[in-house]
Amino acid sequence: MNAVINLASLSRSPRKSIAVISVALAGALALTAMPAQGASTPGVSDTEIVLGMQLPQTGPASPGYNKVDDAMRAYFDYVNSKGGVYGRKITLVAKDDTYKAGLTVTSASALINKDKVFAMVGSIGTQTHISVIKDINRRGIPDLFVNSGYSGFYTDPKKYPTTFGALGTYVAEAKILGKYIKENLATKNVGILYQTDDFGRNTVEGLTTAGVTFTAKKTAATFIAGTQAGGLDAQMQQLKDNNVDVVIIGAVASAFATAVGSANKIGYKPQYIVISVGSDATTFQTILGSKGIAPAVSAGLLAGTISASHAPSPGEADDEFVKAFKKINDDFNKGPSKTWDNNVLQGMNIGYVTTAALMGAGKDLTREGIIKYIENNPLKLSSAALAPLGYSATTHEAFTGFWIGKYDATTVLKPIDGTRKVWTTDSAKGPVTELKYTRPAIAADALPKVG
Amino acid sequence: MRAVSNLKRKSIARTSLIRTLIFAALVLLVGAQFDAYNQAQLAVVLILFIGVLSITLLTGISGQLSLGQGALMAVGGYSTALLITNYTLSLWVAIPLSVISSAIAGLLLGVAAARLRGPYLAGTTLVIALAIPTIANRFMSVFKGDEGLQVDVGYPPQWFSSLFGEPTYEQWQLYVALPFAGVALFFASNILLSRTGRMWRSIRDNESAASLAGVNFSRQKIYVFVISSTFAGLSGALYGLRGLVGPSVYPVSLSLLLLTAAVLGGIRSITGAFIGTVIVVFLPDWIELILGNFGLSEQVSNFLPALISSLLLILTVVINPAGVAGARLHKHK
Repeated sequence: MNAVINLASLSRSPRKSIAVISVALAGALALTAMPAQGASTPGVSDTEIVLGMQLPQTGPASPGYNKVDDAMRAYFDYVNSKGGVYGRKITLVAKDDTYKAGLTVTSASALINKDKVFAMVGSIGTQTHISVIKDINRRGIPDLFVNSGYSGFYTDPKKYPTTFGALGTYVAEAKILGKYIKENLATKNVGILYQTDDFGRNTVEGLTTAGVTFTAKKTAATFIAGTQAGGLDAQMQQLKDNNVDVVIIGAVASAFATAVGSANKIGYKPQYIVISVGSDATTFQTILGSKGIAPAVSAGLLAGTISASHAPSPGEADDEFVKAFKKINDDFNKGPSKTWDNNVLQGMNIGYVTTAALMGAGKDLTREGIIKYIENNPLKLSSAALAPLGYSATTHEAFTGFWIGKYDATTVLKPIDGTRKVWTTDSAKGPVTELKYTRPAIAADALPKVG
Repeated sequence: MRAVSNLKRKSIARTSLIRTLIFAALVLLVGAQFDAYNQAQLAVVLILFIGVLSITLLTGISGQLSLGQGALMAVGGYSTALLITNYTLSLWVAIPLSVISSAIAGLLLGVAAARLRGPYLAGTTLVIALAIPTIANRFMSVFKGDEGLQVDVGYPPQWFSSLFGEPTYEQWQLYVALPFAGVALFFASNILLSRTGRMWRSIRDNESAASLAGVNFSRQKIYVFVISSTFAGLSGALYGLRGLVGPSVYPVSLSLLLLTAAVLGGIRSITGAFIGTVIVVFLPDWIELILGNFGLSEQVSNFLPALISSLLLILTVVINPAGVAGARLHKHK
């Protein structure tokens, strides 16, 4: 800029200078505006498929979720060790957006333009993903298996044709939990703590559809997503003062742990019912551990908590998917914490489904090809989940089935009535019914078979 | 006397215009050499440069400390997004209108700020930045809470594509940001070279002396806030057009990032504002370029940009308080 100032002061004929510079400016603009180039499939070579992912690896929303990328990479490394997909090894490039949308936009640009990813896979965060979903779809980039249960991403494939979910929607899960509450806890005073974004509001919407309603500032307490690190004392005090017996949590895992910590301080011990993404046992114990609460004590605080899941509990040691994924995690996870939990299981499962989709899309891998394959063949994309994927031309919602469980003293989520029943519903006003689904077995080599 | 004054004014305007045109030409020429990612980054530089200029004027030139420029950016962002989504206005109309709303916000803040100084002023502005998520959620039906309003720069008009060829999305982001950055640079340059700039400096250096010299510092403080807010609002409007206007787009850390850029580059100069913005925007890429091959874990590499910019900030304040653009001054001393 000093050079700019000097040049300006040297100029003896400013009018002429302005004219010359204006012409140069127009020339520079014409030079810069080169036509957009057509290209072969980005991120795919004879030897490699590059995938991108955005998640909070640091910051208040990161605990627990920052393990999902390491788990996915571990599964891809396992696939690579077996020869990859049609000889191509899978590379996952994960970018930290600290759960701030401004950074999500920048990191998406880096993944698309610098790392030249073939597809985005498993990105985490509702409000952050909103900032980039339109751009990703406009470019035709597959936006696969997003770790958000926000139904707005999936229920209108015309709006977001390349985006597919990796979770059941918050609305569907809340409807299923709402049915349970109406049938089993009707005599109790039911309240809720939720984060004021789509996650929280979708939870309230699903519960309301099921007939479970709340009174604002009395039985409904709220907080702004991402602010839970400052404590949730006031919210838990509010629920206690209003004699709430059952507290539903529509919030991330770090918020659930903080809420229990806050309630514990004031001697408040309600029955907790937690939306699945907020109920990971390891994250719960880690966060309470950082507040000086010993694991044995935090396990006691978690015990009795009701939650739902579309997949087996990570504590189900006999489940064949759990067994296989756990071994791969032990052998291939290079992340800073590979402690086996819900987040790792979810990461492994996304790795498994992604691999299946890449296999199914065929050797001539294209972005259009994989989108079409996923949309047309959801039943060929089996996974650890106990419900099938619900993808079709009219919806890109993932798992529409959940089972309800209760945490035992060893932090394992166990079916609430002893035998596991999986319930299914939609994200609209449809009924909640029992799902009859037999999950296809995992192959001996733990690789998907898409036949 | 008036003739001399007019001549001076014209000369200042001409100098500012030449600076602006050279700046725009250089940006376009450099942009032409960049790949798509760096073009998008360059667009971010231009956008944040306008925001940093708001701090240069407010803090560097007139000595008022604000930790809440991000909030004023949010005013510009939300105004633009609401005008585009509710009234389907073109961004070329919506942005100037939203700048007016930012100026009004600046006026309200300025009236309060005229009575405050130092840490009290900093605290007040910080509270405003912290209030954004609450306001967005309190008026859910308008601001759409935490998930915000989806907006972007869209596509270039037909005449543009016919004249210059079809630009990529990143190039179009650059072309949208450039004229606004140019206008901001022109006005900032004008202010700094003019009587207004001298008055503001006099308030910064000694309010009593400025008052004795005939400067109504209370009124000038309000002007400073209004002008600074228009810059911040313009920056925020463009920043939101990258994809989303929402609380997580304008966090408190954004206000601190702007302040960091201003201090690193040199808080009292336009050159410094630009250099500082380039540093904060490209620092993560430079770190990745240098340390990318060392195989650092994410747990380390994710924290490096914040760590290194903090170190640079401390070093700047201790060793070279005038920033990169002011390094020359220290050398002459």
